[in-house]
Amino acid sequence: MATPAARRGERLAPYVLVAPAVLTIVVLRLWPLLLGVNFSFTGDGERDGTAVGVDNYLELFRDPLFQGALGNVALLVLLLPVAVAIPGLIATFIYLRVPGHRLYRSVYFFPAVLSPVIVGAIFNLLLAFDGPVNAALAAVGIGRIDWLGDPDVAMFTVVGVHVWATFGMALVVFLAGFATLDAALLDAARVDGASLPQTIWHVIVPSLIRTIQFVFVTTMVGMLTSMFGLLYVMTSGGPEGSTYLPEYYIWIQQGQMNRPALASAASTVLFLIMLVVGMLQISLLRRAGRED
Amino acid sequence: MSRFRLARWVVAVPMALLALATIYPLVFTANVASKTRREYILDRFSLAEAVRVENLHTAWSSVGMGRYFVNSLIVVTFSVVLLLLIGSMAGFALSQLRFRGSSMIFLGCLAALFVPFQVIMVPLARTMADSGLIDTYPGLILAYVAQFLPFTVFLMTSYYRTIPPEIVDAARIDGNSVYGVYRRIMLPLGTPALLSVGILDALFCWNDVLISLLMMPSAENRTLMVGVTSLRGQYSDDIPTFASGVLIAAVPVLVVYLFLQRQIADGVAAGSTKG
Repeated sequence: MATPAARRGERLAPYVLVAPAVLTIVVLRLWPLLLGVNFSFTGDGERDGTAVGVDNYLELFRDPLFQGALGNVALLVLLLPVAVAIPGLIATFIYLRVPGHRLYRSVYFFPAVLSPVIVGAIFNLLLAFDGPVNAALAAVGIGRIDWLGDPDVAMFTVVGVHVWATFGMALVVFLAGFATLDAALLDAARVDGASLPQTIWHVIVPSLIRTIQFVFVTTMVGMLTSMFGLLYVMTSGGPEGSTYLPEYYIWIQQGQMNRPALASAASTVLFLIMLVVGMLQISLLRRAGRED
Repeated sequence: MSRFRLARWVVAVPMALLALATIYPLVFTANVASKTRREYILDRFSLAEAVRVENLHTAWSSVGMGRYFVNSLIVVTFSVVLLLLIGSMAGFALSQLRFRGSSMIFLGCLAALFVPFQVIMVPLARTMADSGLIDTYPGLILAYVAQFLPFTVFLMTSYYRTIPPEIVDAARIDGNSVYGVYRRIMLPLGTPALLSVGILDALFCWNDVLISLLMMPSAENRTLMVGVTSLRGQYSDDIPTFASGVLIAAVPVLVVYLFLQRQIADGVAAGSTKG
């Protein structure tokens, strides 16, 4: 039989196994979160380390760049349904076995594995003022568009490229959702003579409501936290600060302006936005759970 | 019935156009990479007159892409090995062993999943600087492990939950310690999940630019993706060489994708359905 020492070792084993994970997550994820919130109430530069109350937050919300960043967040929220509908529709068509569906799945997914930096660099070439996209537009008689140089256009351009690069991820998630769909429902719709839009609206959307919600939240989170590479390479926040997002603002204040406390305040605001998104997800999922 | 079939052909056209729009940017870049500067300036669309590797060679050697490549390789390898080790240990314990606090720990991992890097990057950079880890391999590796561990633990736990507890019980009766069960049973059984999660973690680390920019400020420590961003400044008037550098950075990922796309897609799908 095992000795008492060995038995104690066995009892402690689960803790030993989770210890590295717990330590890493607490020390390098959760603790910095608290440090950051605390830090956002202290000063930068000469006032380093001293408590300044909500000064950073006041400065933040007065800064036109940060206001612009928040405005862009609102724009992303408005564009969100489009960014979800595109992969959703494509997944539906693939599920319904459009000619070539086998090939499309792997073709569409492929940009999702490329780094935003590579995607951004490629689109810098394509969207240059004298680049191929404008040349193609000119060929069909449309004037050139300054995709990345016009403040009214640039943010839409970057979001468009982001959607191009990431819709494959959402597509795969939708297809996983379709795998759980009851095929008998679709057959019934066909027998009843439902059109394609009717089938989508009355059969597919209600059956996939959880997947749709999941994609909504992950797409939103992706737009808020993984466009840094694109912004960094494609626009650097310009022109005229029109392509700032909170994440880029944090980077600039921390890395370029040497304003870590102000950056922390912006981080805290971003975290609150993420929290609202997360809460929204939970409440949506709860409601969906009750409907089941 | 016929209406359905017709609709399928109607959408086939935009689907094919979209596939073209997905592939074309990369084909364009590869074509540009093969051109001379003169060829590029004269006509952007035409096929390159010949397949040339000079530009690739220039891009590789002149801005230290080789060095950046090795930096990325080292950092990604260590990060993924550590992620899989720590993640599978925790996943096994959280799914198969009963102990006080396990559900709290799992919830903590889930919570950490919702903390984006941008939110903690300022204090993390400070902590790393205070511990002398800024601008070192271990510092960046630690940052990557911290960033992708919640996801790894979450997926490994979900996967190990599908393994019947009887297997663990039987192995224990045969005289294995808990650690023996982990090493002899759980690690081998977890191979499919380790592969999927490992590829995803490797892609995340390889493709990252923000964490790497923050943790590795000095030029010689750049990872490949940060190196790509510095190419543009260097070759703003030599687009073919710039395109070559971009291509060099994209090729490893494309190769991985060609061989392992099923595992990558499965990993993404698992992350969505197990929630």
